[in-house]
Amino acid sequence: MKKKFLLLLSCIAILSLLLVGCGGEQAKEKEDQKADVASGKLVPGPFKAVEGLPVIEAPEGFDWKQFEGVELNFISENTPPSSAIAANIEEFEKATGIKVNIQQMDLGTLVQKVGLDFAAGSSKYHIIYADPYQVLAKYSSKLVDLNEFINDPTLPSIPGGLEDFIPSQLKIDGYMGSEDKLYALPYDCPTMVLAYRTDIMEAIKEDFMAEKGYDPTPNPDMTWEQYYEVAKYINEHADELDVKYGTGHQAKQYDSLMCDFSNVLAAYGGDYFKNRNLGGIGAANPGEADLTSPEAIEALKFYDKLLKIAHPGSKSWDWNGLAEAFAAGEIAMAPEWHEFASMFENPEKSKVAGKVAWTTLPKGPAGSSNIFGGTGIAINANCSEEEKKAAWLFLVWATSPQTQLMVLESPVGGATPSRTSVYELPKVKKAMEDPASEEAKKMPNLTSMKATLEAWKEENSYGRPKIPQWPEADTIIFTELSKMLAGQQDPEATAKSINDQLNTLTGN
Amino acid sequence: MSTGKALQQSVMQQPEPGNSPKAGGRLARLFRTENMMLAPAIIVLASITIFPFFYLIYASFMNYALAIDDPTFAGLRNWVRLFKDPAVAHSWKVTLIYAVAGLALELVLGVGMALLLYSTPWGRNIFVTLWMLPIFVAPVVAGLLGWFLLNSSYGLYAWILQLLGLNIDIFGNASTALPAVILIDVWEWTPLITLIVLSGLQSLPTEPLEAAEVDGASYWQKLRYVILPLSARIIVVALLIRSMDIMRFIDKIFITTAGGPADSTKIIGMRLFEVAFRFMDIGYAAAIGLSMLFVTILLGQAFVKVMYGR
Repeated sequence: MKKKFLLLLSCIAILSLLLVGCGGEQAKEKEDQKADVASGKLVPGPFKAVEGLPVIEAPEGFDWKQFEGVELNFISENTPPSSAIAANIEEFEKATGIKVNIQQMDLGTLVQKVGLDFAAGSSKYHIIYADPYQVLAKYSSKLVDLNEFINDPTLPSIPGGLEDFIPSQLKIDGYMGSEDKLYALPYDCPTMVLAYRTDIMEAIKEDFMAEKGYDPTPNPDMTWEQYYEVAKYINEHADELDVKYGTGHQAKQYDSLMCDFSNVLAAYGGDYFKNRNLGGIGAANPGEADLTSPEAIEALKFYDKLLKIAHPGSKSWDWNGLAEAFAAGEIAMAPEWHEFASMFENPEKSKVAGKVAWTTLPKGPAGSSNIFGGTGIAINANCSEEEKKAAWLFLVWATSPQTQLMVLESPVGGATPSRTSVYELPKVKKAMEDPASEEAKKMPNLTSMKATLEAWKEENSYGRPKIPQWPEADTIIFTELSKMLAGQQDPEATAKSINDQLNTLTGN
Repeated sequence: MSTGKALQQSVMQQPEPGNSPKAGGRLARLFRTENMMLAPAIIVLASITIFPFFYLIYASFMNYALAIDDPTFAGLRNWVRLFKDPAVAHSWKVTLIYAVAGLALELVLGVGMALLLYSTPWGRNIFVTLWMLPIFVAPVVAGLLGWFLLNSSYGLYAWILQLLGLNIDIFGNASTALPAVILIDVWEWTPLITLIVLSGLQSLPTEPLEAAEVDGASYWQKLRYVILPLSARIIVVALLIRSMDIMRFIDKIFITTAGGPADSTKIIGMRLFEVAFRFMDIGYAAAIGLSMLFVTILLGQAFVKVMYGR
């Protein structure tokens, strides 16, 4: 009995020694990993690299699978990049072991759900499609400061650095109030430019030039007054042309109306507030409203005049309705979001495929203004530390140049990248330069990209005011504009009404 | 032990009033078997209706606009704003037109169709089934159907109107958008009025009608003096149900016009939705919601009084 007991004790002792030895080895391994991470040496992550693009990197020894089993919910507007990401999420999930559920919906529903999630202090949605005006401006305090991860040497860095994002887009999508905290990384970048029918322009060119003395084909130097003249000319000659109206607009009593009008407002030198620096990083208090300035009144008068000759459907269309009408061949010219290019070039959805060209929006006295409508992705601050880090890995992957290229080429996506490096790839450059090339056929969104890159230049870009009260301000603006277009009030009364309501809203 | 015995026992076991301490008696009464049996239903009801109702009252006195997860006491601010807000007053006006026009059309068409179906000698079931189809469509789908039919680019009705020389966009014009959404509502909900009224007609006593026939009354005389007076209560019930729904259902308007153009279709339900879920001003939205509840109760009371002839 005593011998048996001694034997058992010996076995336990040997087993313990073995375990301690193994544990020691494991601990040593971990220590070594930490030393590697601390060494600052970066190695490529387990993702497919694309020649010519910065690769996703992490400190040497970084365990990409350390968050295996974590489940993240990504709430997004139903936009092409999210469809493309959803279709290719396997690459990320395989490399990290993190499960990502992508929920897509219209922006209004997204804003409600995110608002209620924040109100409940919960993190039902870990990764958030943070619209700069309806989510970021209002709820920045509920989002994680991404500098925490950028400055953490033990975590993967942003491939190509923040410098690879389009600078103006990083400001609008990422910051709120100051550049101390970065809340989101640019994810998509729709911008309004001018779509027009090349066949219609060819058909009217000779007679129009003889009558008016200039080329009716929209170009970067065209003015809004000339645009009006061309649209009116097409209306008057619609019987002889394969089109019903010269111009169409997204002037439904909705956010789209504010976007459409903002292009004219800024081109005429006006803005919604006296503080003209609200379109970038934004501000908590915008100061006094400025819709009664002479420039804004002129813009309102012109917009009212323009909509009187536009397709009558304009007042019931948002951007989708306008795109459908343009694709149906009813309109010759339309200010539209550049990402509709793939729809216009798709013969299954469009009667005008191969007949569409793009340019920057017409100029007013203050130049051309093209409203930016892009969005970033952010992390909910109510997440656990583990979820936050897992979400950071997703952000790094989803906004990386190679993922953005995948989104651009995806048959279910087709959105344009928010990365400078992608636009420098030879195949992307060729597609932008030559709309008839094979590359352009593969990436039809790029047919509008040359105009869009021009639109992103500081002198041509317009960012609406980024203020926490924007959802209410937006509603005031588009409701009063809608009353003007319905003939219920003149431009002066519209300006005064918007001004008074904006000042009441912001306490100025 | 059977339930009856248990009940009897529990009643017998109740302490005599005055013989036991007051608190103990109250407690015993609280835990009486019938109360215990009612408790689950009361708890469920309280959690889904009563608690949110009181929370709504609480929210209407709070300010959520600055920090949605940390509301501050606002006193009567939301209520004062409710009575001063011209946008809310405009929405009530639109609601009144929408409800009165919609209910009137639904009443006339619904009752008319019920009388037709009531008099149909054969195939009534087939006609009723076909007539009822719109009710089975979700309101949001009814809105989409309306949108597709009246869309100026590809809508069938819009195309017919264009052929007739009416080149307008129905949902884009402030004078046509409201009639259009009213007609979509009429299309969807008239069958409900028909269904309710028809069921009432079918349960009418036959004696007064037979007596009228013996007296040589014409169809119109029977309708005016026998059928309609006897069906009045059921018609009021149908109107009561529809009047409550017409204020609350915003799906069709949300899909077709989003309240525009120029706020011409922004009924009070749309305004509430906008304040609550677009502006996230939950306090003010609660005040608007409670005002809607108050109006609905008043309407209900008025209909009930009409129904019982008081």
